[in-house]
Amino acid sequence: MVDLSLKIKDFELKNPIITASGTYGYNNEFDTFCEVNKLGAVVTKGITLEPRLGNEGERIFETYGGMINRIGLENVGIHTFLEEKLPVLKKCDINFILNIAGNTVDDYIRLAQIAQENDIKAIELNVSCPNVKCGCIEFGVNKQALYELVSVVRKNYENCLIVKLSPNVTSAEDIATSVQSAGADAVSAINTVRGMGVKLDFINGGFKKTTVSGGLSGKAIKPVALSFIDRISKVIDIPIIAIGGICTLADVLEFFSVGAKAVQIGTANFTHPDIAEKLINDLEKFMLENNFSTIKELQKKLMEA
Amino acid sequence: MKKNHLGTIKNIQEINKNVYSIEFSSPTLEKISAGEYVSILCDGLTLRRPFSVANFENNTTTVLFKKRGSGTEYISNLKIGDKIEFSAPLGNTFKIENKKTLLIGAGIGVAPLFYLEKKLEEIGAETFFAAGFLSESDSIKHEFDFVSTDDGSNGNKGSICDYLEQIIKEFKPEKIVSCAPHPVLKFVAQTAQKHKIPCEVAMEKVMACGIGVCRGCVISIKKDGKIQNATVCKDGPVFNGAEVVW
Repeated sequence: MVDLSLKIKDFELKNPIITASGTYGYNNEFDTFCEVNKLGAVVTKGITLEPRLGNEGERIFETYGGMINRIGLENVGIHTFLEEKLPVLKKCDINFILNIAGNTVDDYIRLAQIAQENDIKAIELNVSCPNVKCGCIEFGVNKQALYELVSVVRKNYENCLIVKLSPNVTSAEDIATSVQSAGADAVSAINTVRGMGVKLDFINGGFKKTTVSGGLSGKAIKPVALSFIDRISKVIDIPIIAIGGICTLADVLEFFSVGAKAVQIGTANFTHPDIAEKLINDLEKFMLENNFSTIKELQKKLMEA
Repeated sequence: MKKNHLGTIKNIQEINKNVYSIEFSSPTLEKISAGEYVSILCDGLTLRRPFSVANFENNTTTVLFKKRGSGTEYISNLKIGDKIEFSAPLGNTFKIENKKTLLIGAGIGVAPLFYLEKKLEEIGAETFFAAGFLSESDSIKHEFDFVSTDDGSNGNKGSICDYLEQIIKEFKPEKIVSCAPHPVLKFVAQTAQKHKIPCEVAMEKVMACGIGVCRGCVISIKKDGKIQNATVCKDGPVFNGAEVVW
């Protein structure tokens, strides 16, 4: 038997395979593809205080090795989440992390308080969504603003506090260090990379141009994520959850080798909706066949490589 | 029932210039209804490609598609015996009602209406199938009741929209169902509304997840007096034409 479990602060995960915010819904929506309660955790779609309709116009653009999205945080809002989505998570015994996003510091405080009141075991602060006009990413790219935000959320939330980092910054190390000093229990990285898709159609002697600007995700960003995590793992001690183009067991092991303790699967859920469960099985099989009894042991070996 | 399937290509042919018909079977997909779609994994691409079902019998699905980009290019190169991975059934369905139904298809949009026509015939509903294409070389062969082409090379000359009033007047439908490019759908839905005829439209949009979670393919609909988002992939692709905010 191998033990895939791990703990981030007091938050227990059966295994290090987590599904990323925005790609997996609120609860058991993927149950026709995966045994959702086998996952380490599901990170919910980003939740705001009030419901949001998101952006107008085209929201998706497929690119080489990935896709660009500009959804704009469409979500049902925290109250509907608590009334309609949370009961399903509990009933299906799905381990989850609540992803929260705000426009102001007060929004984040209120959301953290609500999470605490409802004894939600882990939250992920979305301070890096590139697709909303105000708030969010403004915190994620400014180390002082981020330090203050994380500190005040920390005061209002006792359970596992994860901060999701943006790659669209000048110094990954400074941002990660600020988040650690402000009291976060873990970081997840990276959020999407700012990108743009252009489509040109040549019609009747003229060009018709369509553009989609938003966040790039998928295989294409894996090297960006590896580099980011490699750099921050040298300056912080809190656990790092890797995100960025992870599709295969080899990807998972590569991220462990640069310091990640768990991984999130995002865009790959669209390509292979059963991938998350498959990765758990692949990881377990690899450990069995190669005599690793715990994840910690495997990660130690990979870090020494 | 799990929705990820492995299928085998049974038949593939170019039925007209850049228009393909493909049949694939899978032991795990036993039922799919008219209006629902399949989403096919294309090697090397991030997003699966959604296709309405043109026919389904004995675990074999037929889809028609026009070669337009990298996804349809990949599928058009598949050979009999090749394996494909796909998700199905996805989306909602047309309502199967015993009503005098006018089917309006334009371009590759005729495909899901083939399957609907078959299902309506099974329950004895009277149908009138009108199809519009750009030209003869773009046309899909079928026993249509009315055909128009923009250049007049097949059937009547002009857009199918030009003949809609006349067809409604003569056939007197109790219901209209359409699948076509957005401008045609909009025209059909608004004409139906003018005549107070219930209308279902099958919409198309670039999709990522196929199950309503990523919110990438939303359209605006007006329901209970409120404007709200609906996903084409999960809440659709079939919508009440009167509820879509055009």
